[in-house]
Amino acid sequence: MRRILSSITDGKGFDLIMVGVTMLFLFALAGVPLVYNVVMSFQQVDMFNLNTFSRPFAGFENYVAIVSQPEFWLVIRNTAIFVFGSIAGQFIFGFALAIFFMLSFPFASTIRGLFLVSWVMPGLVVGALWGWILAGDFGVLNAILRGLGIIDGTMFWKSDPNLSIWAVTIANIWLGLAFNMMLLSVGLAGIPRDLYEAAELDGANGWQRFTTITLPMMRSTIGAVLALGLIYTLQQFDLFPAITEGGPANSSNVAQYWAWQWSFQLFDFAKGATVSMMMLIFVLVASIVYVRSTRHEVRG
Amino acid sequence: MQFAKRGLLAGLALGALVAAVPAQAQDEVTITVWSIDGANQVGPSDTFSKEFDEMDNGINVEYRILQFDEIVNETLRAFATGNAPDIVSLDNPDFALFSSRGAFLDITDMAAQSDVINPEVYFEGPLNSVSWDGRLYGVGKYTDTIGVFYNKDMFAEAGITEPPQTWAEFEEYARILAKPDQGIYGATLSARGNEEGTFQFLPVIQMSGGGYDNVNTEGAREWLSMVKGMIDDGVLSQDVLSLGQWDSTGTFNSGNAAMAISGPWEIDRMVEDADFDWGVTLLPTFGEGDERSSALGGFNLGIMSTTEHPEEAFKVLEYFVSQDDRLFPEFGYLPTRSDVELPLSGIEKKDAALAVFQEQLQYAQPRGPHPEWQKISKAIYDAEQAALTGQMTPDEALSQAQATIDTILN
Repeated sequence: MRRILSSITDGKGFDLIMVGVTMLFLFALAGVPLVYNVVMSFQQVDMFNLNTFSRPFAGFENYVAIVSQPEFWLVIRNTAIFVFGSIAGQFIFGFALAIFFMLSFPFASTIRGLFLVSWVMPGLVVGALWGWILAGDFGVLNAILRGLGIIDGTMFWKSDPNLSIWAVTIANIWLGLAFNMMLLSVGLAGIPRDLYEAAELDGANGWQRFTTITLPMMRSTIGAVLALGLIYTLQQFDLFPAITEGGPANSSNVAQYWAWQWSFQLFDFAKGATVSMMMLIFVLVASIVYVRSTRHEVRG
Repeated sequence: MQFAKRGLLAGLALGALVAAVPAQAQDEVTITVWSIDGANQVGPSDTFSKEFDEMDNGINVEYRILQFDEIVNETLRAFATGNAPDIVSLDNPDFALFSSRGAFLDITDMAAQSDVINPEVYFEGPLNSVSWDGRLYGVGKYTDTIGVFYNKDMFAEAGITEPPQTWAEFEEYARILAKPDQGIYGATLSARGNEEGTFQFLPVIQMSGGGYDNVNTEGAREWLSMVKGMIDDGVLSQDVLSLGQWDSTGTFNSGNAAMAISGPWEIDRMVEDADFDWGVTLLPTFGEGDERSSALGGFNLGIMSTTEHPEEAFKVLEYFVSQDDRLFPEFGYLPTRSDVELPLSGIEKKDAALAVFQEQLQYAQPRGPHPEWQKISKAIYDAEQAALTGQMTPDEALSQAQATIDTILN
């Protein structure tokens, strides 16, 4: 008895309890919904059997139906543009800003802190703001571009099928920029200064120092930032209803918004679950990359 | 001793409290009402709910404003989790989704005994949208339809004396009236990728001999080509693809469009905002004297079948219906029944517009009713958007929509 007690307060028992509580929490709040979602994607679900479990089994019907939708490939293409465009934009500008703020100039860290404003704002607010900025006839961006003489006519960011997905991507780059910058700043701060000094003494120029010291030393940070970026971008939802509603004609529709439309506009919950199952595969890949890139940090 | 006394007093007070709570709960019944009224402007449901709540009749009314885009969704979720409101007001094509599955209370018998609610006086379209299988599941709250608002000052300046009666004239006048250099479009409408797009496009299909079950008509193809041409030439803003009717007509009110397709819900705001002379005309037809059509809009009221207080909820419903004569003078909405006299408001433009919309209502055709209306509607607005953005030809877009609709209907 005493041995069990002491093991609970200080020993294997304690470890097991800590792990157990976390596992229970994860199982209840992540595992069950996930399994539920998988089950739903193989059933016929509508609003009236939503709160029961015994629904007609549909097999792969939902998957076949989703893939044979006329807009399926368009949605895949848009999702790819949105995800890779956002990640590339957020990462490149985020990295540039992070390096810029590593320079010591007055108020550097204060101004860097201010950049976090975009990350703090709720997505719907950001969406509404960008909705006004990107508006066609009376938009701020168009007024600026016209003022600078870059464009003549009106760019219909929200209504032109060639621009709409880019409009949301631009807003999302702005939204995620600060987060990328912060993580990368932390990575940069972790590189010992004397490495740069030594390299400088050896005659390495700025570009060489960046490619031979900064990038290799940042490898795990970059891996984590990119993987997190993929996950955050795939779950970015708020901007779509606020800016383009996936339109016009699905030209800015992405998988996550499409899944929502199936479930909550067309009330076909099974197909919504099916689309999100397909997304899950991509997120899993990203998670594996993330776990691998941060693994040695955890052990170290 | 002191303590004992205090304890006794406290006990008494507590006892009184405990006794008072259930007594109050028995007397006061709370009916929750959900509607979109009050989201953009003051409307009937929010006003009448507040009035009924303030009456001393043992029934409280709790009113909740929802946005147009989310009311069906919220109601579904609430219904699935057992937290549905007692009364909900839905857009008429959404009503069948609920009534066909018994989510609305069958009020046929209650209405038969009611002095206030008489199904026979309702217009056919609104009545159809609250009926399913010959039973009554609700009442029409108000109805509306669409026509063409036009800026009389701009028309006069361009020497056009009469508003357009055919789509050909609509295009001709819009092209004359558009002044791209001044940021003035010839016309505006809503081809948004949601129910609003279908609302404005379906009448075109209907007046060319089709319906929601037969969308690929020659007239619909012609109309899509015409509108696409106008967008390409800058006569219509490309933003008609993303603007809702309220925002689209806002550009008309500010003088940035010479004509606007929209409905009577715009009248009050237009009287306030538009500093020019304007009028309303019927939705154009394809040829002179051709078949007319227009959209049947408006919301219905129904009692959810999960309500715990059906009788009290019905009383609230009766109160709402008894105030129908205030719909137009106070809110600019048209009643769904024929036995309500619409008083003249004394505002010349408003009264003239009303007369046109009342005439237009005779041609209004309902959307559905069909339990899967949302999917049918998506096929229609997707086709409209695909054709107007040039992703597909009108024929391709409409045949694709037809194929989708066929799988839903069969």
